[in-house]
Amino acid sequence: MKRVLVVLSVVALLMGVASAMASAVGKLKSLDVDESNEARQRGAETVISACMMCHSLKYVKFMDLADIGMSKEQIEYLLEDQKIEDRMLSLMPMEIREESYGKVPPDLSLITIARKKGPQYVYTLLTDYYYQEDGETNNYLFEGIKMPDVLAYADAESDQERADIEAQMRDVVSFLKWAADPHSDERRSLGVYVIIYLVIFTTLLYLLKRRIWSRLH
Amino acid sequence: MASDKDLDRPDRRDFLGAVTTAVGAVGVVGACYPFVSSMNPSKDVKVKSTSLVDLDSIPEGKTHTVEWQGKPIFVVHRTDEVIADMQASSTDIDPQADKDRVQQLQWLVVIGICTHLGCVPNRTESGWSCPCHGSIYDNSGRVLRGPAPKNLVVPPYEFINEKKIIIGKA
Amino acid sequence: MLKKAFSWVDERFPLSEVIKHELTEYPVPRNLNYMWNFGFLAMFVLIVQLVSGIFLAMHYKADVNMAFDSIQHIMRDVNYGWLIRYLHSTGASAFFVVVFIHIGRTLYYGSYRRPRELLWWTGLLLWFLLMATAFMGYLLPWGQMSYWGAQVITSLFGTTPVFGEEIVRWLRGDFVVGDATLTRFFALHYLFPFIISAAVVIHLVALHWVKSSNPSGITLRAKDNIPFHPYFTIKDMFGVGVFLIVFCGFVFFNPEFWIEADNNIAANPMSTPAHIVPEWYFLPFYAILRSIPDALGGVITMFMAVAIFAILPWLDRSNIPGGALFRPGYRIMVYVFFVDVLVLSYVGAKPPEGSFVIIGQIATLIYFGLFLLLPFVSSHEARRSREKGLPHEAERLIREEQEDLLRREHGVRRKGDEERLGQTDKGFQGEER
Repeated sequence: MKRVLVVLSVVALLMGVASAMASAVGKLKSLDVDESNEARQRGAETVISACMMCHSLKYVKFMDLADIGMSKEQIEYLLEDQKIEDRMLSLMPMEIREESYGKVPPDLSLITIARKKGPQYVYTLLTDYYYQEDGETNNYLFEGIKMPDVLAYADAESDQERADIEAQMRDVVSFLKWAADPHSDERRSLGVYVIIYLVIFTTLLYLLKRRIWSRLH
Repeated sequence: MASDKDLDRPDRRDFLGAVTTAVGAVGVVGACYPFVSSMNPSKDVKVKSTSLVDLDSIPEGKTHTVEWQGKPIFVVHRTDEVIADMQASSTDIDPQADKDRVQQLQWLVVIGICTHLGCVPNRTESGWSCPCHGSIYDNSGRVLRGPAPKNLVVPPYEFINEKKIIIGKA
Repeated sequence: MLKKAFSWVDERFPLSEVIKHELTEYPVPRNLNYMWNFGFLAMFVLIVQLVSGIFLAMHYKADVNMAFDSIQHIMRDVNYGWLIRYLHSTGASAFFVVVFIHIGRTLYYGSYRRPRELLWWTGLLLWFLLMATAFMGYLLPWGQMSYWGAQVITSLFGTTPVFGEEIVRWLRGDFVVGDATLTRFFALHYLFPFIISAAVVIHLVALHWVKSSNPSGITLRAKDNIPFHPYFTIKDMFGVGVFLIVFCGFVFFNPEFWIEADNNIAANPMSTPAHIVPEWYFLPFYAILRSIPDALGGVITMFMAVAIFAILPWLDRSNIPGGALFRPGYRIMVYVFFVDVLVLSYVGAKPPEGSFVIIGQIATLIYFGLFLLLPFVSSHEARRSREKGLPHEAERLIREEQEDLLRREHGVRRKGDEERLGQTDKGFQGEER
């Protein structure tokens, strides 16, 4: 009994430590990220056409979009002056962005892993815009945010409008999650095989261990 | 724990041991693969396996040097005179017909590395001359005088259209 | 054919002899439990880190302008770069998990006690080298946490009286953590694991002289030892299998768990993150550091928290062999210590505000208090055991050990022993000690 209590309290403390390290980040909306290539492609379109006015994704090249199933023509359709082998850099010069917003809007290549519960954070941020009394937009998650309400979420008047923008933002998160971790699909599928192999191998080792040790009286 | 029985049936114990060892060996070999693979050219390097050349920028009679996979490539816009000359002539050291070295007669594309010991030959009126040991090449890139043993190498290339070629394979 | 090759070598080099004596026929107590797997596991993780580290170094750039980008290059462009990187980052945490359990086993079972004091010291050296290696390695990705963690910790050396500032400047090679710091940390981070490997060899030499302890803490009779091969080769391999399942679970399905989110932001010397947190394996010591209001005092206390382990064998004055098994008082102290370390870790992760400050200070007091209490508790235990006697099990084992020693000193063997010796695996003979 004492043993059980000890083990339980150790586990509880360990969980406490882990949660201490993951500090709460305001109220985050829940989100199950759609990891399909279709969602990522839709998100890519929104990010390239809307977000890249101010944000860059310098670690992603346009041609990387082929990895989420886009053809060369589909990719080139989204380009303006850029070439397909270019990195996704904002077309607006840095000085102008800095002037308008007080600081350079952060690069989005890693944003979903650069914040705790990143995907939920980004989704909540993009859909937490509201109008203050003085007619200025503000954000529940990030008070005093300098980023404008790009997709006019605060302007939405019907539930349907809000739902549409939310769907678009979910796709944006899908794309950004891929951008931060482009090998996630390969990693997980390889991982399944590795774990299966290890379970088989470890079971064999266990059986062999039992057999060898059974020789001792 | 019938240890005696197990000792009497060594084949059963050996089979388990053999299977476990085999499975383990497969795992070890498999685990090596990513490390070996990581030493191969990475994605950004593999992209550089082709180079685009804009032929419009090369006037008749002139030669441009472009880069492909880190190597210099001589792209020559040959005049009719030179073409006729090369069609008519042949060489002894590494015999090859001029028409077998070009896709379109007025464009010669060769790797600008001397086949002797790797220096970059200098352009002359009648071809190239290597400053290192004196090898001489003609306007088809064929070796006229050694010590180079072979003609200048023709890389794989393709005409995308009249005005553009892509060197190398994707 | 293989036999011929071996005998050619054996004429010229003690290969077979060493393999037999130190590995295949090396005597190990038969009653070791799975807590004894963690030494081998630590060596396994060391190899994982060495191999993954070397292959990462083929692509990494130790320059402040290129470091963060080179990590992205590894993650995105290098074939299986993402895998090698995650192996290394997860491996670093795995290394400390394994080492902490290994140390915990040593504390619980009293394996640090005579005659294993030097074995304990070589182990502490290994732990210290590991912490230095991990600290330097963490700077290399050049993320926000990398930079600011290094900035804070190198600043600590500035508390040294008189020469503090010069020392910090000398360590960094600059007035702040910069390119000079990054380059030298890379050079040393690459070097240290080879020093660790050499220290592992010394640790094993020390181990093989005194042999493994066992859960009872009492040296078993010679005939209760069994050869390392095949019993513990297979048991260690099985342990590796279980370890790999958990390890690969993280590597393939949640690798970012062990990476601080802020470290996915490139270092910005102009902007400090809201909460600077060291990697989890440094948290208890970070908490101890912050619990002392005085800067120099905090640094000294933090170093003492590590160094105090060295005198542990001399603090333990019990005459009861081993650790927690036959010593209920000691067992409680060990449990309290483990819980206290967890509490300190929790406090170390929190900002130093409010009730966390006082909790941290109490936990620090308990930490050192346990060490200082040990001489008294263990002396008391010794006195009680002399009055009331030891538990039966302990007495029996001690008696057997003494009989065994006597027998071997006087060369007396009973017939029954002969038979029993013959029946142990492949005619294996127990060793002296």
